[in-house]
Amino acid sequence: MTKKINRRTFLQSSAALATATISGQGYAQSTSGESPVIGGKFSSPAPIPAKKGPRVVIVGGGWSGLTMAKYLKKTNPKFDVVLLDKNQQFVSCPISNVWMADQVNLDFLTHSYVEAAQNNDYLFLNATALELDRTSKILVTTLGSIKYDYLVVAPGIDYDYNRIGVDNPEDEYALRMNYPAGFSSASEIMAIKHKLHNFKGGTLVLTVPSGNYRCIAAPYERACMAAAIFKKHNIRGKILLLDMNSDIRIKAEGFKKAFAEYYGNIIQYEPSAEINGVRVVDKEIETDFDSYQFDDAVIYPPVRASSIIEEFGLSDESSLQKEAAIDPFKYHLVDDESVYVTGDSRSQPFSKSGNTAHSEARYVAEVISAHADGKQIEWRSPQTMCFSGVRIDPLESMSIIAFYKYDEAEKSFAFDRSHLMDKWNERAGQAGLAWAEGMYRDMFYS
Amino acid sequence: MVFKSHSLALLALVLASLLINAVAEPVTIKLTFEPDLKNGQRIYEICASCHLPEGWGNNDGAYPQIAGQHQNVLIQQLLDIRSGQRENPTMYPFVQERTIGGYQSLADVVAYISTLPMHPQHSAGPWRDYSDEYKAGEVLYKQKCASCHGNRGEGNNDTSTPKLYGQHYPYIKRQINLVKSGQRIVNSLMQAVVQKLTDEQLKQVINYISYLPVPEEERAPSLNWRNTDFY
Ligand SMILES: Cc1cc2nc3c(=O)[nH]c(=O)nc-3n(C[C@H](O)[C@H](O)[C@H](O)COP(=O)(O)OP(=O)(O)OC[C@H]3O[C@@H](n4cnc5c(N)ncnc54)[C@H](O)[C@@H]3O)c2cc1C
Repeated sequence: MTKKINRRTFLQSSAALATATISGQGYAQSTSGESPVIGGKFSSPAPIPAKKGPRVVIVGGGWSGLTMAKYLKKTNPKFDVVLLDKNQQFVSCPISNVWMADQVNLDFLTHSYVEAAQNNDYLFLNATALELDRTSKILVTTLGSIKYDYLVVAPGIDYDYNRIGVDNPEDEYALRMNYPAGFSSASEIMAIKHKLHNFKGGTLVLTVPSGNYRCIAAPYERACMAAAIFKKHNIRGKILLLDMNSDIRIKAEGFKKAFAEYYGNIIQYEPSAEINGVRVVDKEIETDFDSYQFDDAVIYPPVRASSIIEEFGLSDESSLQKEAAIDPFKYHLVDDESVYVTGDSRSQPFSKSGNTAHSEARYVAEVISAHADGKQIEWRSPQTMCFSGVRIDPLESMSIIAFYKYDEAEKSFAFDRSHLMDKWNERAGQAGLAWAEGMYRDMFYS
Repeated sequence: MVFKSHSLALLALVLASLLINAVAEPVTIKLTFEPDLKNGQRIYEICASCHLPEGWGNNDGAYPQIAGQHQNVLIQQLLDIRSGQRENPTMYPFVQERTIGGYQSLADVVAYISTLPMHPQHSAGPWRDYSDEYKAGEVLYKQKCASCHGNRGEGNNDTSTPKLYGQHYPYIKRQINLVKSGQRIVNSLMQAVVQKLTDEQLKQVINYISYLPVPEEERAPSLNWRNTDFY
C-alpha cells in the first residue's frame, strides 16, 4: 500500500517530528525525581513535551482512539492528550469491501494521523505500546516510557486461530500469510483485493466466524463484493461461503435474496460449518461433518480482544474472547479508575463496529472528563450502524442501526430499538459512503 | 399519513463577488418551493438510516426529536450544517447536494418531517411540577423565552423559531451547553439570553421546557406506533 507523499503531508510530518524532538528536555524536567523502571529494565522517557495538564495517553488510533482523543480535548481542553498508534497512517476497514470492488479509491480510506492531531490539538506518536506498570502509571512504548494520569487502551482485536483448531504456530503463520482474514490491518485487505482480481478460477473459500466477531455483516458483504468482481471481470470462480453459524447472522433475508438474485451461480452458502482444522498444504478445510477443498481462501477465524489486553494483565479470566475486566457503564478497570478499555476490546456484548466504537468513545471521553472534575455522567447507549454493499456500478446497499439497553433482570445488555433497511438501493449506497465520510471528517478534519 | 401542503420560503444569502475591487454587498434572494411530500418521503429514507423512520430521537439525547418540527426551522438547520455554520461533521456529508439533492429536495424532506407525529413520551428533566426548581424554571421561561418560542413552546414557523415542546431534555441541555461555550452559533438574541442565565437557571428552564405538553393531535397514539411508510 503506497500513498504518494505530497509536499503537504511531508511538511506536516517533519513539523510533528520537530515538536517531538525539541521537547525531549521538557519531559526530562517534568519527570525529574521519577525513575521509570519497569520489571527491572530502565526505559528512558519518550521524547515528548512536558505535560500541560492531566495527561491522557491513548493506545490505538483506530475508530475508538481517534474519536476519544478529539472529544477528550473538546470536553476538557485542559487535558494533555497523547495518541499512540503502531501504524504511520490510518486505513479504514469499513468501506474496504466496496473498495475491493472499485467503488471508491484508496484515498477515500486513507487518512493522516498527523493531520488529525493538528486539527484537534493533541499529540500523535507513531509508536507501539509494549508494557504497562499501573502502580507507577507508566506505559512503555517503542519510543520510551510515558507517564499518564489516565490511560485509555483501545487496541482493537486479534484473531483466535485456536478456535478453528489451528494451535500450531507454524500453521497459524502460514494461514496469516497465505489466507489472511482481512479484518484488522490494511496489508491484509490489500492482499485480498489482489487475490480477488487475479483469481484464476476454481473454488474460493470465504469463512464466517462464530462468536462476537468484528463487524457481523461484513463477511456476507464481502461475499457479495467478491461475486460482483467475478461477474464484472468474467472470472470463472465459485465462492464457497462457509459459515460457522447456523444461519446468516444479520440482514439475513436481504443477503439470501441477493445471493439468489444476482450471484446464484457464483456463491454457494454453507451454514453450520463448524471449522475444526485447516490443512494448509492440502488446501483443505475440515468441519465436523465434511471437508472442503479450495484453490484459494480468505479465512476469518473467531476474534478476541487484542493480545495486549492479556499481556498488560487487563483481561477478564472468564471471558471467552479474553476481553477486558471493566465496569460495563464507565469502562474503567474494575480495580483502577485511571485505566479505561474501549472499542473492540471492551467486554460488553455490543456489536464490534466502527460506529459503535465512535459513539462509545464520545461518551467515554465525557466520563473521563467528569471523573477528572469529581463528577459523574449518565450512561448513554452506543449506536451500532452498518451499511452493506450488495451490488456495484452503482453501489447499492442495505443498512441497520441499533441501540442498546441494560436489562436489570438479565444483568446484561440487549438490543433496544433497531431499524433494518434490507431493501438495497442506490440511495442507501450513497448514504453508506456519506456515513463513512462523516466519520472521517469527525475524526480527522474538523 | 395526512399530507398537508405548505409552500416553503427559503432565504439564501448570496455574496456577489465582483470582478473589480469593489466591496460587494450581500444579496438576499427569497426562493419559494412547493413541497412534494411523496418525494420528501423518498428522500427521508436517507435520513431514517440514523434518525429512524419515526424521527423521534433518543431519550438520552444522542439524536433530537425532529418529527413535527416547523419546516423552516428544519431547513435552517440543514442549510447551516451544509455550510458548516453549525458544526456537525458526521451529518455534513448527508446534507450536501450530492447526497440529499438541491433546495427542492430539502424543501420536500423538511415538509415530510414536519408532518410526522411526535414521540408520545419524550424524556423530561428531573424536577416535577410541584418542585421549586420547576416553578423557578416556569418564571424564567415566561420572562426570557416565551416572547419568541411562545407560551406553550410552540415556536413559530414564520420566524424560524424552534418548537420546544416534545424535545428530549438531555438534547436541549447539550445544545444549550454548546451555545453557552460558544461551540454552537445561534442568533444574537438567543445567544444573549443564554449568556445571561446561570447554569442553575438554565437547568431549571430546560427542565420546565421538557414538561411542556405536546398537543394530542401532534402526538403519536402510542410508543408502538410505527411509520408505515417505511415498514
Ligand atoms: C472489512 C470490514 C468492514 C467493516 N465494516 C464496518 C461498517 O460498515 N461499519 C462499522 O461501523 N464498522 C465496520 N467494521 C468494523 C470496524 O472497523 C471496527 O469495529 C473498528 O475499527 C473498531 O475500532 P477500534 O478502535 O476498537 O479498533 P481499530 O480500529 O482496529 O483500532 C485499533 C488500533 O490500535 C492500534 N494498536 C494495536 N495495538 C497497538 C499497540 N500495542 N501499540 C500501538 N497501537 C496499537 C492498531 O494499529 C489500530 O490502529 C468493519 C471492519 C472490517 C474489517
